[in-house]
Order: sequence, then C-alpha cells, then structure tokens
Amino acid sequence: MQIKEFLKKLSEASGVSGYEAGVRELVREEFSQYADQIRIDTMGNLIALKRGEATQAPRRSIMLAGHMDEIGLLVTKLEKGFVRFSTVGGFDLRVLPGQEVLVHGRRDLPGIIATRPPHVLSPEEREQTMPLDKLFIDVGLPEEELAQLVRVGDVITLQRQFTELAGNLVSGKAFDDRAAVACIAYCLQHLAAMKHSWDVYAVATVQEEVGLKGALTSTFGLMPDIGVAIDVCHGNMLGVPEVDTVNVGGGPAIAFGPNIHSLLYSRLVETAKAFEISYQPDPTPGPSGTDAWAMQVTREGLPTALVSIPLRYMHTTVETLSLKDVERTGRLLALFIASLDEAFAQALGLKSE
Amino acid sequence: MKELIKELTEAYGPSGNEDAVRETIKRHIAGHVSEMRVDALGNLIALKKGQPQSGIEPRKIMLAAHMDEIGVIVSQIDEKGFLRFAPVGGVNPLTLLGSRVIFADGMIGVIGRERPEKPDEFPKIEKMFIDVGAPDKEHLTRKVGDMAAFLRPLADLGQRLTAKAFDDRIGCAILVQTAQELETTPHDVYFVFTVQEEVGLRGALTSAFGVEPDVAIAVDITTTGDTPEAYPMAVSLGAGPAIKVKDRGMLAHPGVKNWLAETAERLGLPYQFEVLEAGTTDAMAIQTSRAGVAAGVLSIPTRYAHTPSEMVDYNDVQNAVKLLVGLLSGPVKI
Repeated sequence: MQIKEFLKKLSEASGVSGYEAGVRELVREEFSQYADQIRIDTMGNLIALKRGEATQAPRRSIMLAGHMDEIGLLVTKLEKGFVRFSTVGGFDLRVLPGQEVLVHGRRDLPGIIATRPPHVLSPEEREQTMPLDKLFIDVGLPEEELAQLVRVGDVITLQRQFTELAGNLVSGKAFDDRAAVACIAYCLQHLAAMKHSWDVYAVATVQEEVGLKGALTSTFGLMPDIGVAIDVCHGNMLGVPEVDTVNVGGGPAIAFGPNIHSLLYSRLVETAKAFEISYQPDPTPGPSGTDAWAMQVTREGLPTALVSIPLRYMHTTVETLSLKDVERTGRLLALFIASLDEAFAQALGLKSE
Repeated sequence: MKELIKELTEAYGPSGNEDAVRETIKRHIAGHVSEMRVDALGNLIALKKGQPQSGIEPRKIMLAAHMDEIGVIVSQIDEKGFLRFAPVGGVNPLTLLGSRVIFADGMIGVIGRERPEKPDEFPKIEKMFIDVGAPDKEHLTRKVGDMAAFLRPLADLGQRLTAKAFDDRIGCAILVQTAQELETTPHDVYFVFTVQEEVGLRGALTSAFGVEPDVAIAVDITTTGDTPEAYPMAVSLGAGPAIKVKDRGMLAHPGVKNWLAETAERLGLPYQFEVLEAGTTDAMAIQTSRAGVAAGVLSIPTRYAHTPSEMVDYNDVQNAVKLLVGLLSGPVKI
C-alpha cells in the first residue's frame, strides 16, 4: 500500500456521517488484505480482525479506532430551483460560501454553495457571517427538473481534490479522520511482517462527527481489553498560540490526561523512543472529543490511549498534514502492538477469565 | 380514534409522573398484546408475539412513544402562598403567562408574573409564580417538589386537532391504535411507552437496553415550516407522516428510513422526509444502545410544539397508523 495514494482515494471519497457506505468499500478493500475476518456491524462500523499468535488463554485484544465519516450537508428544502441545506457535524459557516459540492440525489449532481456578490449585500450583511438559513446551493437545474432529482434528506458532500504541497505536505478534505484510517492500514501492513500475540481489531468507525456513536457501539460489541483511538489534532499555524498546537511534521502527538491510561501513554512513548520515532507529548486535560472518550467508559470501562496526527485547518476542505507523520503514526502503532504481552496485561490489571 | 387521543392528551403526566397515562394505555391495549410489564423506571413494555410466516425472517422490533409531557415543579412557597417554580423539560416562558396548570390531585393554578421593569421585557421563569387561589400559606396543601402540567382540553377543529401534550401522546395514541389494529405479525413487536423523554431520553435508554431490539422506530412529533414566516423547513401539516432523516441528536438509519418510505409508497400513503434542526427523540438513545440498533423515527407534523396548544392533522395521524400496521405485517427490509 502506498500511503499517499490510499489517503488520496479516501479523501476524495464521499462518506458523510451516517452515510459512510462509499468510503467503507475502499477501507474494506484495503483492510481485507491483512485481516483474518472482516464484518460490518449494525451501525455500519467496519471491523477487521487480525489474530495474534498467542496460543494460551487468556486471549487479549486491542481495538484501534479511526473514524471514516466526514462532516457534510443535507438537503432541507427546495426553493425556486435552489437547494436549502443543513449541516451534519461541526461546520464552520464562514468557509462554506463559494465551495463546490456534490448533491447525492437520484444521481450525483455537482453544485456550488452560492455566495451573493458584495454589491448586492447590505452594509450589515457584508460585516457578518452568513447564517445557515441565508445559504443555498445552485446545481444549475430549473425548478421542475431539480424536484425530480433531489429530495429533502439527500446528502451533500463538499468536493475538493487532494493536492500535494511542497515539503511532503498534502492538503484535502476529510483528512479528519481518514488520515487515521490510512495509519491503521499502514499499521496492519507492518504487523503482517511482525510477530504480535494480541488480537487486533482494526475499526473504521462511523458517526464520530455527530457524537462518537460508532465507537460507542463497536466497543460495546467487541469488548476489547484496551482501546486506542487515532485522530487528528491542531498543527502549528499563524494566529494560534504554540501551546495549543503541535508541529506538523514533528511526528505523532501522544495524548495524556484523564482520558488516557498512564501505562498506555508511557508504553507508547517508550516504543517511540526505542525505535527513534519522533513524537510529541499532547497534554489533554479534559474531554478529548475523540472516539477514545466514548471507548473509555463502555461497559465496565477499559484502558484507552489517543494518538493524533498534527493537522492544520481542521473542518475545512483544505486540511493539511505531513505524510511523514501518517507513516510514523502507523509504524508506532504496529510496534506498540507487537510489544503487548501478558506481563503488560497484568500491569494494567486486566481480568484473566 | 379521536376519543382515545382526547383521553391521552388530557391525562396528567409530567416527566417522572407518568402513572395516569400508563394506566390509560394499559386499559386500551389489554387483550391486544401477549404480555405487559413495567420496568424499574416506569416504562410500559408490551410485547405482541410474532406468528411465524414462511419466507419472512422474524425480527425483534421496538416501537417507542413517550408518555411524559413538559411541566413545572414547585421550588419554593412564599408567605402569602404563591408558588415559585422551575421548568421540567423544555418549557418556553412565553407560553406560561396566562396559562392554567393542574397538579396530580386535580388542584388548578394560574401563572402570574411580577411587574416587569420594562413593559416589553421578555418573561423569565424566576419572575413568575403559580396562584392556586389559597388565601394564605396556612390554607395551602402544596409542597415543594409537587409537579404540575398544562391544563388544556382537546379541541376538535374538524380536520385538525389542538391540545396540550400531543408531544408525545399522539405517538402513544398511534401505538395503541396500531396494537389494536395489527391482527398478526411475523415479528416480536415491543410497544414501549417510555418515561422521562423530555428530560433526556431516560426511559428509552433503559428500555432499549432491556428489550435489545434489532430495529427500532420512535413515533414522536416534529415541527413544521408551514406557518407565516417560519424557519425554512419542508414539513407541512396534512402532507402525511414525516420520515426522519436527521435531527439535532441523530441520523436515522438509512435502511429504516427507506423501509418506511418504500412501505408508504407500496400502500399509497402520503409521506414527507424530515430534517429537523432542533430537538431529538427517543430514537437517539435507542440507536446507541449496547452494540447499536438500526433506528428510525416516524414523526407527526405538529405546529406550536411545547405550547399548551399544539396542532396536528388527523389524516397524518391515521396514515401513521396505516403505515405502521403495513410495516409490521411484512418483512423487515433494511
């Protein structure tokens, strides 16, 4: 697997929260090359199992979670040949006008989010962000034809081509969190050439952007011994204090804080040090806002960790990250998994039945 | 069915005090279901056992409608016998002024307001009180913690009905009617009348965990965009029951959404798709129960939600029953 090509495919695919089927096929194709078993659960989570080599009970398992859904839009109303819409997930309304979209009607229709020219705006409107109920999409069709092809509830994805910037950085949409899905695939590929005793559940989760729902239900169903979420975090950029960011190109950010089990954190850090993988400690004092937050309190609870890929311009269509960080994260995860043994399970106090 | 709707909407049942509603429902579904139980939170769980039919895979289906309504709770009583109160659920202060409320024992009170500093000041609940007509505190039998609901009889406007607590007694009425009309079904159908939806989907959370359904459909109300200068929304009264795509709390399972729509089309029933920008339903809690449930919502378009005068179209209500009966009679296609 070439990380760049896979990330490009994932990024350009459509998979708004609740409607991940399109992107899921791509993930399934990739994961199935390394998995012993693969299935889709009720919510739509893709669950790949790569068995560990342990022959003795108790069988231990680790769950990796990266979400494959992206934020998007939904048709709320057709009005005079234009499309009114609502958001799915946390969109920044300031970056919507002028975007190209794909309206998934009876067939896919390219459209643009209209931006009324400054000449026709009132002085007040020029000063403010357009509220959602003033925004609309133009697909170019007359009213009657539009009504035949588009219905209330149809999903809309933002369109953006994957772009390579200089310096091994890439830019595109939905890197949050498909870059993590690419990391997991890279990790599985590495593991194929390594020995590991624990079972690995690689889960591409759904509906993270609307409330961590896929992680909640898949963790309940799998009951892993430990869980690691892979997500993105804010990379360095102008106008944001350094203390709130990590460096893009500086390696995976390993979170610590109440959402993270301290032994998982230290094992990840030791692994990074032992194999000379650059990493960045990522203090996370409260809710991490990631799948790890839901995983931690599933059923009786489980030790969780969070590894994040530094990313600039989150929740826009120009999310930017370093491919090197994606590779390093995948490699770190594989080495971490290979290090898991029964002594570590005992140190974590995991049950033995 | 109008008699049933009237009886249910006029029953007293703020969140946590659903007993009267539950007793009414029990009376109406007795004989139409195989078994009934009440769980620890007070949810009424009625099972209609499936009859095996060749070629149809039996499923465990949960239908949910909530019995509770929004209301107020007495927080403090002053020397003169006026009752200060707090909201139970999403109560809009604007709808309280001039309203009458009723307590569990039938005592009636009216809602008054302190003199505002400015005549056009937005009313705040802290500045309001309930007057039950007691001459002084000594003659008052109310206590802190007593709950009251809006008092408002149902009015039959012909095609349309207006009442308090259509949210969600209309859902309860539809479930009761469906249980009565559904003669046989290949599926185990759980009619669940939930508690405490208005304070955070609490009854749905626990009942779904207990029932462990494969598929769930909440029946609840949705707002409309068909009144003057309403927020843009393509849902109207009388255009058929609404099939939810999304609300603030959840995305309906696309399979359940399509199953509802295809069944409506097969039966020639009108329907509309719904994208609701605010609010959510029991389906949100059911969806993430255990390892996940395929969950959707059938909504009854309702004007003036969370006021004492909510309004629904009787055709939408009847069509919702027909749709559910049709749905439960055939295979689950999701």
